[in-house]
Amino acid sequence: MAVRAQFENNNEIGVFSKLTNSYCLVAIGGSENFYSVFESELDEVIPVIHTSIAGTRIIGRLTAGNRRGLLVPNTTTDQELQHLRNSLPDSVAIQRVEERLSALGNVIACNDYVALVHPDLDRETEEIIADVLGVEVFRQTIADNVLVGSYCSISNQGGLVHPRTSVQDQDELSSLLQVPLVAGTVNRGSDVIGAGLVVNDWAAFAGMDTTSTELSVVESIFKLQDSQPSAIVNEMRDSLIDNFS
Amino acid sequence: MASIYNFKKIAPVPEANDFLDIVLNKTQRKTPTVVHPGYKITRIRQFYMRKVKFTQETFDEKLRQILEEFPVLDSVHPFYADLMNVLYDKDHYKLALGQINTARHLIDSIGKDYVRLLKFGDSLYRCKQLKRAALGRMATVMKRQKDSLSYLEQVRQHLARLPTIDPNTRTLIVCGYPNVGKSSFMNKVTRADVDVQPYAFTTKSLFVGHMDYKYLRWQVIDTPGILDHPLEERNTIEMQSITALAHLRAAVLFFIDLSEQCGYTIQDQMSLFHSIKPLFANKPTLLVTSKTDVCTLNDVKPEERQMVEAVRSESIELSQLSSYHDTGIIETRNLACDKLLQQRVDMKLKGHKVSGVLNKINVAQPGKRDTVERPAFIPESVLKRRQQSGEDQMHRMLERDLEVEGGGAGVFNVDLKKRYVLASDEWKYDVIPEIIDGKNVADFIDPDIEEKLAELEREEEKLAAEGLYDSSEETTDEEDVRIRDIARRIRERKQIIAQESRIKDVNRSKLTTKDKAMISSTGDFSEHLQRLGLDPTLADETASRIGRKRGRSESRDPAVKLARSSSVAARAVSVIRDRSVMGLKDARQKLATEKSKNMSMRRMNRMARAGEADRAIMNKMPKHLFSGKRSIGSNDRR
Repeated sequence: MAVRAQFENNNEIGVFSKLTNSYCLVAIGGSENFYSVFESELDEVIPVIHTSIAGTRIIGRLTAGNRRGLLVPNTTTDQELQHLRNSLPDSVAIQRVEERLSALGNVIACNDYVALVHPDLDRETEEIIADVLGVEVFRQTIADNVLVGSYCSISNQGGLVHPRTSVQDQDELSSLLQVPLVAGTVNRGSDVIGAGLVVNDWAAFAGMDTTSTELSVVESIFKLQDSQPSAIVNEMRDSLIDNFS
Repeated sequence: MASIYNFKKIAPVPEANDFLDIVLNKTQRKTPTVVHPGYKITRIRQFYMRKVKFTQETFDEKLRQILEEFPVLDSVHPFYADLMNVLYDKDHYKLALGQINTARHLIDSIGKDYVRLLKFGDSLYRCKQLKRAALGRMATVMKRQKDSLSYLEQVRQHLARLPTIDPNTRTLIVCGYPNVGKSSFMNKVTRADVDVQPYAFTTKSLFVGHMDYKYLRWQVIDTPGILDHPLEERNTIEMQSITALAHLRAAVLFFIDLSEQCGYTIQDQMSLFHSIKPLFANKPTLLVTSKTDVCTLNDVKPEERQMVEAVRSESIELSQLSSYHDTGIIETRNLACDKLLQQRVDMKLKGHKVSGVLNKINVAQPGKRDTVERPAFIPESVLKRRQQSGEDQMHRMLERDLEVEGGGAGVFNVDLKKRYVLASDEWKYDVIPEIIDGKNVADFIDPDIEEKLAELEREEEKLAAEGLYDSSEETTDEEDVRIRDIARRIRERKQIIAQESRIKDVNRSKLTTKDKAMISSTGDFSEHLQRLGLDPTLADETASRIGRKRGRSESRDPAVKLARSSSVAARAVSVIRDRSVMGLKDARQKLATEKSKNMSMRRMNRMARAGEADRAIMNKMPKHLFSGKRSIGSNDRR
């Protein structure tokens, strides 16, 4: 199910939330509207947790994680770490990472099996990612952007990448990630996919500006609600061509 | 997708009289108003020239604005150009704008002429008359534009009310004889809410509505009915339909009424279809038979049916619908949209722009790189909920509802600890101190931290004992030694070369022997003697005796003397200076100073009078502070 949401009039919801298959982190805002969007979709399945990281609300950009673990930057306070530990189930490992590129969400894009990381990431961090998240780690760029976490959004079933990714790059990334990929946009043409969209294996949340065409591409590629990625090539092809060119 | 043409922003065009008022008022407000015959003539001329020039510029600005804001027929989309021709008559429109432009030029030249004349004005009266004449002539020119201005205002009002039609987007055009059900169809597929009445020409202009299909936005244009007669005889209302049909790349839905309730026979309707067929070239076209609730294709005479079905041969499709029964509407719409979309996509695929979107319609499928299975992880509860999705779920209490109950945003404080996953629920709200005994509790949150640290240290020691961190000197082989040796020799040789060249360098500045001697110290000298094999003690003694400076007998303070004698403690005593001797050469001078001071004070002391340094109050009751009106009214010294 793909849902549109907005954090205090801001469409970049990937900045203020982190969604994985076993938990969801949501920034503490002025009101509970944003939280309740996630709560109504996910609660009773996975915990939806209010949190801040290093006192900020940009938790989606600062953290990286999947079903097995959560990586937080070294700026995270002890109290926040304690709060996260108390809120998350014991099956999820939490690790504070000493990394110069502290916006982990921008430099790491991962699902439960594979992670794409910034080419300049520390070797130690790479090992921590592999250990804590239990993934294979690949140093990659997306459409010549080193911030792999910002310019793509991936789940175990599919992935949406930067609109300028070439077809060859798509094929290469797809065989690394072992999921189908398509290039696209969110939020009415925004190319920062990671900021405009959060997904897991059964739900997706996109910014309020996302058009119906964009949302249906998201639903198809991430196999939400029984739709299949082949729909993009078959049923939606004409609409996409007419819309984009 | 917004239309690039926005006719709603054109500023209102005032009537000729209002126009004059506006401009003259502005002149009055924005230029100086006071002038005297006594002023210098240049100043008077300047005053009136400014008025004339200002008026001319204001007229120019206002007229230019009109000319710029109204669309130029040659540069707008041909659809709009033609529509404006139909509605406002192209010649009339161009003439009006042309006259405004001429007026602008006339006013400019009047302004210029009178400014030139004003340079020869030799009195205030003459200057003023010239100004009056200038403004009067400008007003006359403007008054002559009365008709053009009122026409342009009408055009503006009408333009602003035209529907915003984007000529380039996906469009369906609904056309046909009057009263065949075009507007009913429009109301069914969009939310435009067009007026539907049982008489002809209910729709008198173009109407636009929007709908969504296949994730895209479509615009539907409802046109006024068209009658079957030659183009020259068509009226304005019909011509709007023709314009839309001629210029918009759209799917055309031609409606015919088989029941003939509209008052026109099927034959008439088909002949209209054939006569305007040239307008449908290269457009996906549908022949829609409406009002099937009254009469279908099966109910009409065979020859009429044949006439209708003959259009199939021209790759025009037939469709049937009934707005009354709501049948066939969606099918008709989808058929038209699909055909148009297909045509647009085919055309775009031929262009070069499509290469930019190829990656957006390409789903990269992964090639197998290993045998690992990577299944999706969807919890059971989600799958169960999906199956139940048909049944309406009970509304759960969300955090948002709690917020509303708790006083709304800004008042409500979210309970962060409510959902903690702990061994016992009682622990949720326990307060954990952050610092105890100067130590951060978080550092000791792990009960085994000490053990782990000890284990790490042990491991480290073991590694150290095994020699992991030992320097690898002995491990170097002969080759390394040889290379190091060569490197050392090279370094030494380099140093020597550098030093030699420094000695050889004749251009660098050198100290003369005299300078050298001046900066050499006793130490240097005794060193030199030693080098010669002589004993330097005697020379040192002599040097120290000669070189010592004589102390000042009087200026040396007893405390300092004391300090000097007991060397270590001395540092702690701060030096006390006798200020009475500062600035004096010696004891004798000091005595002399003292003596002259006493002499000068002698007379003063003898008289025992107040000196200039004593405080003195000259006037104990200054008059200005103690005179004036009292509250009872007395004592007014004035």
